Amino acid sequence: MIVDHDTVVHFAKSWGLFYLIGFFAVVCVYTFWPSNRQRFRDAKSKILERDDKPCR
Amino acid sequence: MIAQLTLNERTSALGLLILVALTGALMAVIGGDDPFAAHGVIIILFCAVIAAFVISGFDAPEPRIDRQDSYYDDPTKVGIGLSMAWAVFGMFMGVWVAAQLAWPDLAFDGAWSSFGRIRPTHTTGVIFGFGGNALIATSFHVVQRTSRVRLAGQISPWFVLLGYNLFCLLAVTGYFMGVTQSKEYAEPEWYADLWLVVVWVTYFVVFLRTLARRREPHIYVANWYFMAFIVVVAILHIVNNLAVPISFTQSKSYTIWPGVQDAMVQWWYGHNAVAFFLTAGFLGMLYYYLPKRAERPIFSYRLSILSFWGITFFYMWAGSHHLHYTALPHWVQNLGMTFSVMLLVPSWASAGNALLTLNGAWDKVRDDATLRFMMAAVVFYGLSTFEGSFMAIRPVNSLSHYTDWTVGHVHAGALGWVALITFGSLYTLVPALWKRPQMYSPALVEAHFWLAIAGTLIYVFAMWNSGIIQGLMWRTYTEEGSLAYSFVDTLVAMYPYYIARTVGGALFLLGAIIGSYNIWMTAKRPFMPAATDDVPQALSPAHARVPAE
Amino acid sequence: MREFFHRKIERTAIGFVLAIIAAASVGGIVEIAPLFTIQETVEHAPNMRLYTPLELAGRNIYVREGCYACHSQMVRTLRDEVERYGQYSLAVESKYDHPMLWGSKRTGPDLARIGGKYSDYWHVAHLHNPREVTPESNMPAYRFLSRTPLETATLQSDLNAMRSIGVPYTQEMIDHAVKDAEAQATPDSENAANLLKRYGEKTQVSAFDGVTTQLTEMDALVAYLQVLGRLVELPAKQAASQPSERAP
Ligand code: HEC
Ligand code: HEM
Ligand code: HEM
Repeated sequence: MIVDHDTVVHFAKSWGLFYLIGFFAVVCVYTFWPSNRQRFRDAKSKILERDDKPCR
Repeated sequence: MIAQLTLNERTSALGLLILVALTGALMAVIGGDDPFAAHGVIIILFCAVIAAFVISGFDAPEPRIDRQDSYYDDPTKVGIGLSMAWAVFGMFMGVWVAAQLAWPDLAFDGAWSSFGRIRPTHTTGVIFGFGGNALIATSFHVVQRTSRVRLAGQISPWFVLLGYNLFCLLAVTGYFMGVTQSKEYAEPEWYADLWLVVVWVTYFVVFLRTLARRREPHIYVANWYFMAFIVVVAILHIVNNLAVPISFTQSKSYTIWPGVQDAMVQWWYGHNAVAFFLTAGFLGMLYYYLPKRAERPIFSYRLSILSFWGITFFYMWAGSHHLHYTALPHWVQNLGMTFSVMLLVPSWASAGNALLTLNGAWDKVRDDATLRFMMAAVVFYGLSTFEGSFMAIRPVNSLSHYTDWTVGHVHAGALGWVALITFGSLYTLVPALWKRPQMYSPALVEAHFWLAIAGTLIYVFAMWNSGIIQGLMWRTYTEEGSLAYSFVDTLVAMYPYYIARTVGGALFLLGAIIGSYNIWMTAKRPFMPAATDDVPQALSPAHARVPAE
Repeated sequence: MREFFHRKIERTAIGFVLAIIAAASVGGIVEIAPLFTIQETVEHAPNMRLYTPLELAGRNIYVREGCYACHSQMVRTLRDEVERYGQYSLAVESKYDHPMLWGSKRTGPDLARIGGKYSDYWHVAHLHNPREVTPESNMPAYRFLSRTPLETATLQSDLNAMRSIGVPYTQEMIDHAVKDAEAQATPDSENAANLLKRYGEKTQVSAFDGVTTQLTEMDALVAYLQVLGRLVELPAKQAASQPSERAP
């Protein structure tokens, strides 16, 4: 196979797209995974607690 | 401040300063009459000032045995001060630059003061000086609070903050002397770039170690943005600044990238500097200080995760929209355009998320100028990302590129988003840090808010007008099919807008000066013991959760 | 499994960093990597010449003074631009440019095709005080350039550094850098003939700022301006490939 400009461009474009779709899927799975719900809920309210010093 | 360090640490701080100063001395000697030598001298002076400070506190009593029981806020406090100082400097230069376009004689016939040399002092002053210091200061604050652990290291946070400011100082003094690589937002020469790499790696390590020690199971989303900001800026900085100096005793270097590649690398850098410096980092601020001030959790945590990955992924593709219709290959231009339009989705998701967080608390927004700063910032963020996606469409860009429309877009983002969210965050942070019930003068916060809004609107509208008018004039044809206006005709049409922009900028600068004064007075005001906040207390049950790891 | 994986990523902050890098680096790689093979697709320009030492010095002054903040050097493929400034810019024209100076703002006109448009004398007068030439101009005055002698001591290192990043300067060119710079601003001198031999017959030799006794920064800058757009022999003026979409 001759690797010329067109091949590189073609490769970049097609695999770039697959990568995009795959990445999107993984992020969605993570975001909507049921057991993550609770930790997200904790995370968003916990910053509102008073915090004057580190927890040890 | 020095009292927070042990005797050993004070000594090593001095050792470090001497080491850096010696490097400066070496530069001063071998540099001859090149600006390289002048920069050596600046490094020595910089180290001397800090060393004097360390020595003045050298005999202070040593800190309590266990510093891990308290957060490390000294670097944040100093960072806030430096940030405001750079804001006033950078915006003053902005007003001067703006005035020179209206009245060119304001360069006073100097070489150092001519437009081309002081324009980068403005951009570096505001983006890296003001924005960068604010980011370092707030990221140090947020990562400790959300991880519930003290910042890693005692000297390294100082090294990050002060080393970074040395970089900014070298950059800005360099431009006055004509030291520049000409790459927008990456103008500093090779030695300053190398120094920044050292500083930035330290920043990364401090941040990462703090996160790794956290007492919370989950990394709060604000830290994601700060982390993306740190990591990606490092990659961008290194790739774009690869250069060969003409010798190791001179400041001049040549970038290794030729022509078209250089254009693509530069705008890949330039656009992502916008994305990860001016957007991601400030979104980090938003996701912490906005909920904090509104006393409401973020509307949807999941949405914030989705938009985080969307922004991190999409932005990287968009750089080529700076090069539409140029000699860059066509397909790269189209790719950049496509991703720029898609970028609107995660951008508006963030903006919507923030606004919905405020939904139901509009009375607070009405009464509290600090919260209003943040809300206005979100609105401008939504506006400038919409505008950006629109300008990235090729036919639109054929009109907007090279004109003041770009400058209008830049400042809708820079003044409206970056500066407003920073002021809002600082007004939230400052009273908490110095343990005051509120800012020294809420009335001055209110005044600052209106000055900033007025300044931004005047600036942005002036530039939209001038940009679109000029773009249209350039392409207007007469009946006979020849170009209707000479270049100078189109220039003459710009003057009223250049004057208006100067006025708008001056208002914004005035607001920043008032803000600095207010912050200074809040910090300086005699200590008023308020609640029991500042005394260490027994661990509350909420804090005594199972540690992570 | 999935779940375990994510926890892991998140818990170990370093995994999180790697995820950021994975997300962020593709875009850049996809867009930049193919450009390294671009030489195959770029127009060929066998007779393209290099910047002479004097022109290179001028280019560095252009960089130093930030002229690029107001002037672009990139005529886009739009009808009105081609009619206003000339043939649109080709990729090959900036082949030897480190860095490129395409610019992003046109407070002043594009300069990609400025070479030969005006006389040296015009440029000197204009740089001295733009408002004497064009009363409405807001371009800064650069009087100090004619007062400042050109620093020639670094010219050899300049060419050397350029060569190390792939610009084909020969050893002979590097050795004669200083002489060549002086020769270019001293018409009819003996060295001028050698300069033409090295850089091509089209090289412009002239007393740029009107004074041959001293080599100033003005000489260098004007020499650079006069070569802009003339390194490559362009085909006869071409119309824009894509007509400006909205031009009536
Ligand atoms: C503040 C922005 C600004 C800066 C900085 C600037 N210029 Fe200009 N320049 C202009 C404007 C506006 C014009 C058009 C009016 C005129 O002819 O003066 C112009 C015109 C020119 C022209 C004539 C172009 C033509 O086609 O008629 C040349 C050549 C030029 N500038 C060179 C330079 C050089 C070289 C520098 C750097 C040393 C520089 N300019 C810096 C704004 C600027
Ligand atoms: C007092 C307020 C300000 C004024 C008066 C001002 C003025 C200016 C002027 C006159 C320019 C040059 C435009 C040109 O070349 O035509 C400019 C450029 C720029 N400014 Fe500002 N500015 C201000 C605040 C800011 C802030 C707070 C930021 C960022 C956080 C910022 C970021 C920039 C950037 C990135 C550019 C470069 C734009 C480009 O290259 O297209 N400015 N500013
Ligand atoms: C979805 C988000 C965004 C998109 C798609 C976008 C798109 C664009 C486009 C198309 C340009 C014009 C390029 C040109 O013609 O030269 C531009 C310029 C610019 N934008 Fe944005 N923009 C976005 C958000 C922002 C934000 C939030 C800021 C914050 C400050 C910002 C800062 C800038 C700067 C500084 C420039 C000027 C670069 C230069 O020419 O020097 N952008 N952007």
